[in-house]
Amino acid sequence: MFSPFPAESKRPKNSCVMLEPATVPLRNENPVTQLPVKIALTTFAALTLAGSLAACSSPAPSDNTGDTGVDTDAGNNSNLSTSEEPYNDGTYSSSGSYDTPAGTESIDVTITLAGDKVADVEVVGHDNGNPDVKRYQAEFIGGISDIVVGKDIDELSVDRVAGSSLSSTGFKAALQNIKAQALA
Amino acid sequence: MLEFEAIGTRWGIETPEPLESRVITAIADRIESYDSAWSRFRDDSLVTHIARAPGTWRLPAEAGALLDVYRSLYEATDARVSPLVGHALERLGYDAAYSLRDSGHHTPAMPWGDAIAWDGATLTTYSPVLLDVGAAGKGQLVDLVAGVLRENGVHEYVVDASGDIVHAGPQPTRVALEHPLDASKAIGVVELANGALCASASNRRAWGAGLHHVIDALTGLPTSNVLATWVMAPSALVADGLATGLFFADAARFEGLGPFQWARMLSTGRVEHSDDFEGELFL
Repeated sequence: MFSPFPAESKRPKNSCVMLEPATVPLRNENPVTQLPVKIALTTFAALTLAGSLAACSSPAPSDNTGDTGVDTDAGNNSNLSTSEEPYNDGTYSSSGSYDTPAGTESIDVTITLAGDKVADVEVVGHDNGNPDVKRYQAEFIGGISDIVVGKDIDELSVDRVAGSSLSSTGFKAALQNIKAQALA
Repeated sequence: MLEFEAIGTRWGIETPEPLESRVITAIADRIESYDSAWSRFRDDSLVTHIARAPGTWRLPAEAGALLDVYRSLYEATDARVSPLVGHALERLGYDAAYSLRDSGHHTPAMPWGDAIAWDGATLTTYSPVLLDVGAAGKGQLVDLVAGVLRENGVHEYVVDASGDIVHAGPQPTRVALEHPLDASKAIGVVELANGALCASASNRRAWGAGLHHVIDALTGLPTSNVLATWVMAPSALVADGLATGLFFADAARFEGLGPFQWARMLSTGRVEHSDDFEGELFL
């Protein structure tokens, strides 16, 4: 179970939010490495992301026990003000650790609040080099950010496309040549 | 609509009236003179000459703005974006002959100050350096071609060099932002008006697993954390340079290059974008 605790003194006033990743890694076999992930969230992203921060009804914590974090289950609110008072602007950090059969793993979460919205999130996963851990933590991190949903270009009314479909003629010809050689 | 192939890519120029042949000739001349200076795919180009031996070289007029942007990118990315990656690209197989074979021998680009000195008019090279201006050169050429149009009295246009686009006129052009992993899909749409939009994707010119043209000058290897970038800026030179820069550093590092809007897709599938990004993203 995730048991976050505040790493810095400043916290939202009405904080009692659980940091609860939907999936936690179960194995831990490799040497420690870090998976730093920086998510620069901006207005549009913040709307959907802000729903991931929500107050809960746990008792007020002491300064040394966990209470500030991210609840990935609260998905529908587009504003942090689900409770009586607004959150103070600022940067908040929390570490969370959880036990697995192979030992303890942890992540550090730093969230910047501005105008009652999440302006920035940084998550550092201590993934122990286990690819499963990386994947689960990426999913957790992804869960509070925005994953793009592509639309068919054919169905869009556009004049042109900016991307990668048109590449160098000489390059393409050479690539075809290489492919032909590789098949021979 | 004028369509042609130049500098190894497809161009389209849209204007309200068909272009006169003298304007088309002027455009062709401008592209040829740029290509003859900066193409490392030509035996007779200036950068190919420069690569043969150290020396002092007078560069064409556009070099000032181009190298200024490169210097800003170099500093903002802690030397990860550099015009000195030509040899690193060659070793990866992206050479003039398009051998597309990774030599397996990777070296970082030389630090700027160790390799070259630029005084605004002449370039001094301390060793045989192969300049590669792929991060911003195409954007600059799009600006220069737009300049030829304006000099010839054409003030409404879209110049589109396969992803590097500059627009002028009252009617915006709608641009789909191509999904870097699926060319049939878009991740958003932008209305571009009186400015430039440049896209960069690491799969744009890829020739093998993890082998593509967006090179980290510090390692000599392709970068992998960002899949694609889109930047809107007043000029295509800056937009193109930033589209490469955002593969290596966060947008906040590039404030020195002036106002710009951006979006990028990370290898995790997440999309980041600037607060002021004027476009629809399908998030």
